[in-house]
Amino acid sequence: MPASAAPRVPGGYFGRALAVDVGTGATTVVPLSDRVLRDHLGGAGLGAWLLTELAPTGVDPLAPEAPLAFCFSPLVGTPLTTSAKFAVVAKSPLTGFLTDALASSHFAISGKLTGNDAIVVHGACEQPSVVLVDGAGARVQPADDVWGLPAAEAEAALRARLGAGWRIAAIGPAGERGVRYATVSHDGRHAGRGGLGAVLGSKRVKAIAVRAATKVAPADRVAVLAAARDLRARSLGRATAKYRELGTLANLLAFNALSTLPTRNFTAATFEQAPQLAAEDISDLRKVARNSCASCSIGCEHIYATKGGQTARVEYENVFALGPMCGVSDPDEVLAASARCDELGLDTISAGGTIAWAMECAERGLVDAPWLRFGDGAALLRALDEIGAGTGIGPLLAEGSRRAAERVGGGSADFAPHVKGMEMPGYEPRTLHAMALGLAVNARGADHNRSGAYEADLSGDLDRLDGGQAHVAAAIETEDRAAVMDSMILCKFLRGVFTEPFDEWAALLRPVTGWDVDGAELRATARRIVALKRAYNVREGGPRPTTGCRSVCSASRSRSGPAGSRGWPRSGCGR
Amino acid sequence: MGTAKAWLPWHGSTLLRRTVGVVARGVDGPVVVVRAAGQQLPELPGEVEVRDDEQEGLGPMQGLSVGLHALDGVADVAFCCSTDLPFLHTAFVHRVVDAMDDDHDVVLPMVHGYRQPLAAAYRPSLAVEIDALLAQGRLKPAFVFDRCRVLRLADDALVADGRLAGADPSLDSVVNVNEPADYEQALARPVPEVRVECFGVLARNGHRGPRTVRAATIAGAAQAAGLDFDRHVVAAVNGDALTRDGATPLVVGDAVTFVSADAGG
Repeated sequence: MPASAAPRVPGGYFGRALAVDVGTGATTVVPLSDRVLRDHLGGAGLGAWLLTELAPTGVDPLAPEAPLAFCFSPLVGTPLTTSAKFAVVAKSPLTGFLTDALASSHFAISGKLTGNDAIVVHGACEQPSVVLVDGAGARVQPADDVWGLPAAEAEAALRARLGAGWRIAAIGPAGERGVRYATVSHDGRHAGRGGLGAVLGSKRVKAIAVRAATKVAPADRVAVLAAARDLRARSLGRATAKYRELGTLANLLAFNALSTLPTRNFTAATFEQAPQLAAEDISDLRKVARNSCASCSIGCEHIYATKGGQTARVEYENVFALGPMCGVSDPDEVLAASARCDELGLDTISAGGTIAWAMECAERGLVDAPWLRFGDGAALLRALDEIGAGTGIGPLLAEGSRRAAERVGGGSADFAPHVKGMEMPGYEPRTLHAMALGLAVNARGADHNRSGAYEADLSGDLDRLDGGQAHVAAAIETEDRAAVMDSMILCKFLRGVFTEPFDEWAALLRPVTGWDVDGAELRATARRIVALKRAYNVREGGPRPTTGCRSVCSASRSRSGPAGSRGWPRSGCGR
Repeated sequence: MGTAKAWLPWHGSTLLRRTVGVVARGVDGPVVVVRAAGQQLPELPGEVEVRDDEQEGLGPMQGLSVGLHALDGVADVAFCCSTDLPFLHTAFVHRVVDAMDDDHDVVLPMVHGYRQPLAAAYRPSLAVEIDALLAQGRLKPAFVFDRCRVLRLADDALVADGRLAGADPSLDSVVNVNEPADYEQALARPVPEVRVECFGVLARNGHRGPRTVRAATIAGAAQAAGLDFDRHVVAAVNGDALTRDGATPLVVGDAVTFVSADAGG
């Protein structure tokens, strides 16, 4: 091979990331070797690698030099169902550790087809701006006119200005104000957890706009098409029926029956008014549409009518967080709160969790907000508005429950349910012991997408109320599976269709990339990605004993957590 | 009986499987089954420990000795019963075990005036006393009661427990089947009345809301509810641990929750 020959780029990739200094407009190409791509795949795995390589050690997540990466995957652009996904990765202003939020839309396809496997932004603009990336590279344009708008309105305004070929991810007012759990939104979807919207807002970047400029070729197009047909057929089977028929809100009544529905800031595990929010009823009365993400055959997105003729997309997590967690049972108020979070660009789980903590503080007389009471939907909406506007109690709550508890004191940290500063999802860990462990040790914090250990608890194969070594193994297995799915990227709602997931995922990767990858290699890849995330956290000051969730961890009796079971040193890798 | 009691069919399960399952639900610890050496047993849950009784002809005292030795140092109290208690209720097990206190070594139900040594609670440390009695050829449980502190619970004391009073007011928990006629008579009784509720997609097609059915096992309850209890479905009894084991026994008053095996986000 001549010395000047370009390195071989595997199928499904471009072999490069584009880094944009939004302050100067300068761009840098970061070469991504075959080895880097094969070791980290894409999405969350590639994001962890990029963050490790590009982020200064100890950087303030909201400082100009903190990078934020949009990471695509080898499957994006193929006909494989659920593959139009991307990861947004940065150091979280909420946790101080790595956060990686996934989302699905045409933004993934257009972003990748700019000719980049990732787009990284760093620096800070002098004025509100939009970053444009297409085949000609990147440039930064003023966007003062859309600053202050909800993400969806900003997205629409920018598309009107730029043209229909552009796909846009934007932040809402919460991101502009630096709310530590602000989202990045696009096409009604959200990269939700960890405050990525605040990272963009700190750079005065209102939006990233991408336009497809090229194509990406899989190694074996015919084999990819065959695999896509097979996966699509399987995606329509019984394993995904729940998502198609009722969506994730189907969890609510089931979790209530199993005493695993966090209620009133985790003071209870059942909500007596849960039936009022049940998917089984709301679906019949209010459902107006069912949508799919781009390139998805499942169609899990259930759209419901709200008071005043509006519609809202409803998932279990936003109903749990803004409903039972805050003691609110009126579906109109919960749907309105969910829609308000979307408008402001707030992560519903952290918003609901932080407000629920504040409600308990108010009832204990620890904060001067006597209006903030469990069960009061109007108070919930007022709290959301104040977070978005930066008024009243908003600035305190914008910090997230851990930091807010540090400021309020009075023992309020003892009832701020979070892990690493990230508010808890809707899984009561005291009745889900594998999940308790998964939440406690997860690199991102309290998160049900990077640790799906609840699968083991709810499988019937383990005793969810009596954690032991088998639960440790289950927590590791589900974390490993998530690491690969989040890096390839495939939607987790597909997981039930795979019987030998690592082997089957390798079979999907082979025709796309041309690699001779097998299941064993993917297992090693999963461990590498999980370890890399933890290593990044350690570099940034972890582990920190910051799990504050009503003695949640004591619910798991496992003596050896994943760190020990993975064969890692006890120090530095546990949390 | 013509068939070993352990193998007697019981509404889609076996008598031993039912008794083991009810005891397991009634206690917070391991379950030990003592069998004659080499005896074949019907399928049991994997967590059940099986011990061999190496000496034949010594009756229930030898079985008590083997079982209590297995639990000595593992549990503070052991509920000991025979195989053939088809109407044993978890509330009865709870009542007897919970009655044990620091002042006693045995909790002995006296149902309708009769001692029930094979539906009683024992301190596992009594195994040593029982061994001594066996060595002396004293093979009746009554001899044990002469050597330890016994709390006797008559009918009124037993049903003073509200849950037991509601679930098994006539204390049928101690009814055993010694003859074929007993067995046939027991089989002819209605199976327990339980409440079932399906959630999520399982609640579609008219399956929404709680219903009362009669079923002796989770699989029976699923069938009565119109569900296939396959790999896509798990069940919880009274909101407790989830299981895929359709042979899990049900007792009067149970509430069975059926959810999709893929519950969660």
